[in-house]
Amino acid sequence: MSLQAVVQAVDGKFGPSVLEKTVDEKKIVKIVVDASVVKSVALYLRDNLGFDHVKAVTGVDLSKLLKKENRIEIIYHLGSYSRPDLHTSDLALSVKLDKSAPRMVSLSEVWTSCVYHEREVYEMFGVVFEGHPDLRRLLLPEYWSDTPPMLKDYEAPGR
Amino acid sequence: MWPLPRTPFPGYVKTGIFGYRHVDSDSVVRMVEESEVQSKHVEETVSKYGVDKVHRVEDRSGVNYFLYRFRNFRLIRYLLNWGRMASLFPAHITTACCSVEFAATHSPRYDPERFGWLPATGSLRQSDVLVVEGTVTSKMAMRLRLVYDQMPDPKWVIAMGACAISGGLYAKDSYNVVQGIDDILPVDVYVPGCPPRPETLFQGILLLREKILYGRWG
Repeated sequence: MSLQAVVQAVDGKFGPSVLEKTVDEKKIVKIVVDASVVKSVALYLRDNLGFDHVKAVTGVDLSKLLKKENRIEIIYHLGSYSRPDLHTSDLALSVKLDKSAPRMVSLSEVWTSCVYHEREVYEMFGVVFEGHPDLRRLLLPEYWSDTPPMLKDYEAPGR
Repeated sequence: MWPLPRTPFPGYVKTGIFGYRHVDSDSVVRMVEESEVQSKHVEETVSKYGVDKVHRVEDRSGVNYFLYRFRNFRLIRYLLNWGRMASLFPAHITTACCSVEFAATHSPRYDPERFGWLPATGSLRQSDVLVVEGTVTSKMAMRLRLVYDQMPDPKWVIAMGACAISGGLYAKDSYNVVQGIDDILPVDVYVPGCPPRPETLFQGILLLREKILYGRWG
């Protein structure tokens, strides 16, 4: 069962909520889902398809790209230890959030390794994860009160 | 929305020493309260121990005036500085890759103990020179200043590597890197390089010796 079959299984279960599918086994396999169903998709991927850990959580500010969507994309890179045929594969589960009030459900209950990654995304992109057990800043200085620095609105002070 | 005004009005809380932040939810309020920088009770400490214990001022009254004048005779000052120059205890702050070259400088091949530069193994409170190796983030900046303030006078600072001098790789467009540690510390010798070779640091050590011997400390 390859990643293509995984994408087809997710598409079959959550048909209308899967917004985009990108399948390119050499580069990236990505599923963009609606923000309301992301937790149930994550539970389905964990329980039925064997994706048992998160490798990375990243964000992309899409507002200055060519398409100029006013959105932030949060990408969860998933991997599997329990299934040998998925050892080398990397599935990207992605959500696009509104940039004016970026909020989404925290997936730290599904995968515990999300906790630190989501804290970093929270401080770097200003995304509030609802249901996160410990949503504090991680790396930035204590007195930081500026725009989150990975957003395209941020201008570095320089010297 | 994130571009935030810097003025206080309902819905905004003060964070740290520079600005205000919009209150999104209870977790954000909790986060702000937990990450506040605790004040060090400077005024209480001063009233308890007295100003001259906390911020020590040189006493130049009475007998001490003659000691002060004596220390500042040119020959005496030269001899004092000669002693300081010939036995330098470095303390070093390692934040990046320059520490590898710092360690290589102490190898038998270069042997800086010939010139009184001792191995960096002592306590911070008995050291003379602070060597800052590498990138200093703004979170590290206040800790670095704390380290510097704990060292006894007279003390000197060497900024080692491009990052400590000017921000280096992270100059101009970084959100979190101090653009040169001379923003927060008085630097005596700049050692350029990325990272500098041991010979470069060695030349910096020799320069610092000259500066101590002929400088105006005392």
